[in-house]
Amino acid sequence: MKQYNTPFLAVLLAAPALFLSTPARADGDVRCNSGPQQNWKPMSALKKQAWLEGWTVQKAQIEGDCYEVYARTENGQAVEAFFHPVTLQKLLVLRRGREIYRAPGFTN
Amino acid sequence: MTADRSRLGLGKLLLWLVLAVPAAAMVAGWLSGRVILMDLLEPSGEMAVRLMVLALLPGPLAECIGAGRFLRAWLAVRRNLGVAAFLYALLHLAFYAIDMNALSAILEELELPGIWTGWLALALFVPAAATSTDRAMRILRRRWKTIQRVVYAAAAASFLHWLLLDWNWQKAALHAAPLILVWLLRAVRRLPSHQRRPT
Repeated sequence: MKQYNTPFLAVLLAAPALFLSTPARADGDVRCNSGPQQNWKPMSALKKQAWLEGWTVQKAQIEGDCYEVYARTENGQAVEAFFHPVTLQKLLVLRRGREIYRAPGFTN
Repeated sequence: MTADRSRLGLGKLLLWLVLAVPAAAMVAGWLSGRVILMDLLEPSGEMAVRLMVLALLPGPLAECIGAGRFLRAWLAVRRNLGVAAFLYALLHLAFYAIDMNALSAILEELELPGIWTGWLALALFVPAAATSTDRAMRILRRRWKTIQRVVYAAAAASFLHWLLLDWNWQKAALHAAPLILVWLLRAVRRLPSHQRRPT
């Protein structure tokens, strides 16, 4: 039996970490229902929106039908945020996988 | 034994060259400005996990299906694969630290489950990596295996780290699946009903 102790203990010790974290979704699963791309605001507007948040943008891209920004906040926190491509509303912000902001009414 | 080792010398050198290619490509990409550090976190972490899986697979596999030529060669390099996995984990940490750019920022996010599970995985990996030499193996004898088994815990923490950051079940599960499969196979083989009765 001794051989199974280590892996068993590992799983036992590590499992609570899953519950300590607020479940989020994989990047690709976030849906913005943003419609056709020709109606989207330009990427430059997205970057400005992030700048207005006080963030330093590391990377801005399209993820599914959302705009996604990787940035640093004023406090130096690494954040990953999803914006609506048409309204540029901030919909969801994650910090290393943990959800720290969700727009009211946004359930996707 | 000595003859064996010298025959493996060139092979191992080649193996290390191959193993170093992704790291070299990552560092070169960053230094040339083509890739930002943030985008190197996932590939470096993935390499660490893949090599860890490759190091953990041949042992149980050989126990289940017996060691043929191929598996014997694989077994002969598994410590190299494990050390390479550890080095990729260190590279992953280095990319992270440089990208964070401040110790205070690193400490500040230590409490996030996605982050501390990564530190835990690395810490659990240290004993095995530190005792990966032939000398340590000789000195530690039976205890050596026990120390190496801590890698199981490191693997579990690594998968959690990945999962908590990415929330991409398929990717992490795909990497964990071969390990879970061989461990299950071995567990079944070790059941009393499957063991040969001593005569």
